[in-house]
Amino acid sequence: MNKEKRILTKEYKKAYLELSNGMKFEGSSIGASVNVSGEMVFNTGMLGYSEAMTDPSYLGQILVFSFCLIGNYGIPSYQNKDFFMSKGHESSSIKTQGIIVSDIYDGCHHHDGGISLENWMKDQNVPGIAGIDTRYLVQIIRESKNLFGKIISENAKPQDKNKFEFLKNFKNSEYIDPAKYNLMPSVSTNKKMIMGKGFKKVAVIDCGVKWNIIRMLMERNCKVELLPWDGDFSEIQCDGWLISNGPGDPKNTDNLVERIKKYVLALGKPILGICLGHQLLSLASGAKTKRLNHGHRSHNQPVFSIPEKNAYMTSQNHRYAVEKSSIQPGWELWFENANDDSVEGIRHKTKPFMSVQFHPEASSGPNDTSWIMNKFVDLL
Amino acid sequence: MPILNFLLPKDAKKQKVILLGSGALSIGQAGEFDYSGSQAVKALEEEGLEVIIINPNIASVQTNRGLNKKVYLYPITPFWVEKIIKIEKPAAIISSFGGQTSLNCVIELGKKGILNKYNVKVLGTQVDALEMSEDRELFAQKMKLINVPIAESHAVSTVDEALKTAEKIGYPVITRSAFALGGLGSGLARTATELKKLTQAALMSSPQVLIEKSLHGWKEIEYEVMRDKTGNTITICNMENFDPMGIHTGDSIVIAPCQTINNIENNMLRDTAIKIAQSLGIVGECNVQYALNPKDYSFYVIEINARLSRSSALASKATGYPIAYIAAKIVIGFDLLELKNPVTGTTSAFYEPSLDYVTLKVPRWDLNKFSGVSKNLGTQMKSVGEVMAIGRNFCEVVQKALRMVNENEDGITVNVFKNASDEVLEKELLSPTNLRIFAIYETFKRGKTLEYVYEKTKIDYWFLSHILYLANVETELLDFFKLKVKRDNVTVQEIYDSYKLVTKDKLQRLKSRGFSDFQLTKVYLSACLNSKVKLTIKEIRSLSFGVRELRKKLGILPVVKQIDTTSSEYPTKSNYLYLTYDGIHSDVSTKKNEKSIITLGSGSYRIGSSLEFDWCSVMTSSYFKNKKNDSVIINCNPETVSTDYSASDRLYFEELSFERVLDIVDIEDPKGVIACMGGQNPNNLIQPLSEAKVNILGHSQKSVDKAEDREKFSAMLDELGIDQPEWISAISLADIEKFIKKVGFPVLIRPSFVLSGTLMNVANDQESLDYYLSLTKDISTDFPVVISKFILDAKEIECDGIAKDGEVILSLISEHIENAGVHSGDATMVFPAQKIYIHTVNIIRDIVRKIVKGLNLNGPFNIQFIAKDNDVKVIECNARASRSFPFISKVSGVNLAELACKVMNSEKVKKILIDESEIHHVGVKASMFSFQRLDGADPVVGVEMASTGEVGCLGEKFNHAFLLSMESTQIKRPKKGILLSTGRERDKVKFMEVINSLYKLAVPIYATKGSAKYLGSRGYEASIVHWNRSPRAIDVITEGKVDFVININKNLSVDELHNNSEIRKVAVKCGCSILTNLEKVIAYLKACDSYEELQNIENCISL
Repeated sequence: MNKEKRILTKEYKKAYLELSNGMKFEGSSIGASVNVSGEMVFNTGMLGYSEAMTDPSYLGQILVFSFCLIGNYGIPSYQNKDFFMSKGHESSSIKTQGIIVSDIYDGCHHHDGGISLENWMKDQNVPGIAGIDTRYLVQIIRESKNLFGKIISENAKPQDKNKFEFLKNFKNSEYIDPAKYNLMPSVSTNKKMIMGKGFKKVAVIDCGVKWNIIRMLMERNCKVELLPWDGDFSEIQCDGWLISNGPGDPKNTDNLVERIKKYVLALGKPILGICLGHQLLSLASGAKTKRLNHGHRSHNQPVFSIPEKNAYMTSQNHRYAVEKSSIQPGWELWFENANDDSVEGIRHKTKPFMSVQFHPEASSGPNDTSWIMNKFVDLL
Repeated sequence: MPILNFLLPKDAKKQKVILLGSGALSIGQAGEFDYSGSQAVKALEEEGLEVIIINPNIASVQTNRGLNKKVYLYPITPFWVEKIIKIEKPAAIISSFGGQTSLNCVIELGKKGILNKYNVKVLGTQVDALEMSEDRELFAQKMKLINVPIAESHAVSTVDEALKTAEKIGYPVITRSAFALGGLGSGLARTATELKKLTQAALMSSPQVLIEKSLHGWKEIEYEVMRDKTGNTITICNMENFDPMGIHTGDSIVIAPCQTINNIENNMLRDTAIKIAQSLGIVGECNVQYALNPKDYSFYVIEINARLSRSSALASKATGYPIAYIAAKIVIGFDLLELKNPVTGTTSAFYEPSLDYVTLKVPRWDLNKFSGVSKNLGTQMKSVGEVMAIGRNFCEVVQKALRMVNENEDGITVNVFKNASDEVLEKELLSPTNLRIFAIYETFKRGKTLEYVYEKTKIDYWFLSHILYLANVETELLDFFKLKVKRDNVTVQEIYDSYKLVTKDKLQRLKSRGFSDFQLTKVYLSACLNSKVKLTIKEIRSLSFGVRELRKKLGILPVVKQIDTTSSEYPTKSNYLYLTYDGIHSDVSTKKNEKSIITLGSGSYRIGSSLEFDWCSVMTSSYFKNKKNDSVIINCNPETVSTDYSASDRLYFEELSFERVLDIVDIEDPKGVIACMGGQNPNNLIQPLSEAKVNILGHSQKSVDKAEDREKFSAMLDELGIDQPEWISAISLADIEKFIKKVGFPVLIRPSFVLSGTLMNVANDQESLDYYLSLTKDISTDFPVVISKFILDAKEIECDGIAKDGEVILSLISEHIENAGVHSGDATMVFPAQKIYIHTVNIIRDIVRKIVKGLNLNGPFNIQFIAKDNDVKVIECNARASRSFPFISKVSGVNLAELACKVMNSEKVKKILIDESEIHHVGVKASMFSFQRLDGADPVVGVEMASTGEVGCLGEKFNHAFLLSMESTQIKRPKKGILLSTGRERDKVKFMEVINSLYKLAVPIYATKGSAKYLGSRGYEASIVHWNRSPRAIDVITEGKVDFVININKNLSVDELHNNSEIRKVAVKCGCSILTNLEKVIAYLKACDSYEELQNIENCISL
């Protein structure tokens, strides 16, 4: 990074963030020179940008990092042979449409680092803007019900629509609202995969699964059978089910909820739902989901268990939540958010079914609730 | 019920809880405990408890009188705490808010069975867990048990054991002593010889020394953990040292949150911190320190502190989360889930703050104040204070912080290494001093690479690359402005036009990277101005208005951001603010009904400005807050109460620089600014702020100028017929010669520029005069030396007071125990004065009246006098609140700071007459020295201030108050023996006054030859010790035969000072009590006659 000698007088390529409320921000273009659009969301986690950007739950979104310094430790190397388990990566590519930061560090000196954030974004054809007052932007997003944005830079190319399935639904000039469409085909595996050599077999319904869920199951001696979201669940032989996290509105998933109800819930085997998986399982149980104002996207969501009142710091990334009043007989509230009382988890009173809104697999964020993975594996 | 059962009111009476403070400020244990203690008091009072404070630190906010509070200004020792327990019958005691001092005291109270005897419960973390956290061997065992890696470490109690251990684990090794704060007795040993030296010293003050593998160059990282009684645990903040392992964390530049670790490392260390807190059963706050390998994911736990600490205060200020307040609620029984985050008011206290800014702490060292002290940093803490800068990028915070800590407007670009050789720079990188960051900057400016600096310093590339960036920016600016022929003169317009050429975007970028207008002006000047032309700060400041005006025209203005713990996830009304140029939107609107009053705080603690000025600032801002004025405070010291969110209506955690204060004035449009309550630092801003048309409340700029300008003040005294010691401002050696011919020796020398060593000195003869002058730069018109007649054997008297429109409203007179020649900040002060003639008092009051009138003072003041017989001379007048304000206020019962506020707010005040003889008790204020931490420092007191803190104790009699204040400053009654050396013949004669008191102590007396002979000739026996042959003076100290050293210099000549300094240094190293001033020795030995009486008193005096 010492090569670029003229720093102050260097001409930065300008980039603009245009918002659906009519506001416009100017900053410097970072990463790839591509114009994109997406739903505006913010994350207040101070670390874990590589995990966040590869988290499939951010599909179709422009992610604003509220923390002012992003890229400090580079991007962990991921082109090694154990690709699937590369630390710091939660899927095989960047899933956010783009990122907005205040300050970006264009270097990589961490022992685990392979490449700088900017170069990684260039490699993956993902744009971003630096030099934005992200605190202000967070406040704007917080106060808006729905906010969409476009990253536009000089002489930039339009986004390649083949990148994700859902993009085909949108025109180039349009503000993209990803939740309007079923995002499952864009993030789910298209063929069944088997991983690990454990004794117990967990069928994971891939709605955009974060790799750390798979890593944790494998570390706990499970064999993981990763299923496409639209695969045939009826003939799966397994000891338990995990319905993964993922992007979008849980109701916008075609017939996934009915199939979970029919082929998963009905079997009575242990089930763990995480994030979108929790919403899908809840819907399958008969509960309802709602859209939150701006959702929870951070590493510091306080939740506590009921009735013990054990409290945990959790990592979260969701906009939809289960309505408390809709929890069905036979089920009970398991976790609640200590800040806004929203539902953070439910479980069945007699059967081994449980689901959590937060991420016990963390990555990024605190590991306080990794015990839920132990609990699930113990049930198998 | 959230509160513990035994704390509920009994028979409709509130339960009492003892809260121990931390005593006098010393290196390693400073004002942060006033902050945590004050928050705790508030939290406890809210729950209906009566708080009993035991803390002799009279200048602290926590020792203020209060409705539900009793304050005992007593030493924090088991003896006195037990006495107070007997009187107050408290239900419980809290150990965790008073640092190591209170923790050690509670552990001892527990061990001695005193707590059980009186059925006093320990709140929070229990004694056995505290002991485990303090005893390194026990702690290591526990960590092994829970599988937490800890650096291989072995407790040894002899030097031999130490050497054997080091052989086993391999050099280099680190030594640490158990039960010590601030890394006392710690060091790095590369060889057996070094290890021998270190362990010898460490074993003098601690029974146990630990030998550990050296982790030099590893990252040093801390976590602040909070756990409640149900086991729910959070980590509030993590912090990373800019300086890797090897430099004490108190001496390290620290960034929060951590910047160079990734998510995996963060959670690995966070999980471990929580695991440790769980396993030890922490209830409340604790801090865990790690060494993290920069090359892989391995790490070690270095230590934990099961209490509030300097780091927790920093974490509080860095995050906005009131750690001490919440910890206090937790120790009385609340759970985290039951509490709300006070910053948001709506979200849970079970919450880990998210930051959208960075904070940088930079320590403040005053190593120049101590002759002989090595400036190298290591595992033993040497800094006396710190500042914290808040901003949105590293460049911004590093420049802000350097301005804050150096009290200038420069940042990183102006530094002492500009003319240093490459060798000097390299040495500085390899063995760092307090100035290393400047050396790094200069190294980059000379074109060295990141790799080069990394190899020498092991500072992470991330930090270094930002410093490199700043160096490149400056170089580019210089290139941009460079003229072929330099000029002799630069105008404001030229600065304006030149920066206009830089363009708006780039000027905005420069400002967002922390460049001050002043700094940008200086960069321009060094590019364009003939280097022979030297401009004063005032002139550069005027030129900098070129940048300021341009900025304003272009709309480049700082924005105000809130610190809200949530990164804006939730809306908050937080009043905790900072300014940044790295943003476009202010969080708070500035339109208000009421115009605000801005109080300027005191900045970093340092020698000469400490807790007492924070007390004054807090009194001021809370006065206006309570009066429902809109009260605003500006300060940048994270260890203070004034930077607590509840001390004002709005807190700007900001630089006290001219530019920044002016920015805030622009934003606030205040009714006025108060600059006379925070000590000299804000006081210096009165002149430029007044000139910038800012309304200064209190004294007018003219009054302040007249008081501070030596010539003007002196002329006024002459006019008023007030006597003063003769003085000149010499610009040549001939001037000095002429002056000395007239007044004779001794004289006091005050050079205006010093290359090294201390600033002020007393010269007794030509030889010492020559020596001291040789330390200063060439004497010239630019660098004059002020020389004044030094009066021997004179009493020093101070008058603190308040004036309104040139009339005295209140004046209170106190005296020093030591004769003139000891800096007033180091002297022992007595109030009400015990030994001044009524006639002298009358003369003084008359002089005070005249000076107040002559200067037309309108606010707080302090005037210092020397008196010999009835001959009174004025030394100086401070037209501001003084160091002694809290002491005088608390002893007299009249709050001087509040009275000053009334005057400054133009409220009606009546003249207050206090008959000092009506005050039923005597207060003694004594200074605390930290020589034990400053290897190589000569612990002699003189005209240059060296103390780091103070205490103030009350007694029915002077002797009681004096003994208590001595015990509180670590002057302990001798138990083993006394080493005596009593100075000049006339001092020896005077010493005979207390000879019986000395022998009544019934311990062996050792004396240097002259003193022993003198005693012998008068029939008193003392064992003789020698300088060079056995038995040597030093040996009786190192062998532990004496624990008390009385060492009085014959005179202030260089030789004499050097002769005795060896004895004093060794005495300090070995933890002896040491007195070096004859008057103080006499007062002490006399007071010892009342020792038994004091021990047996049943009623302790409370406020």
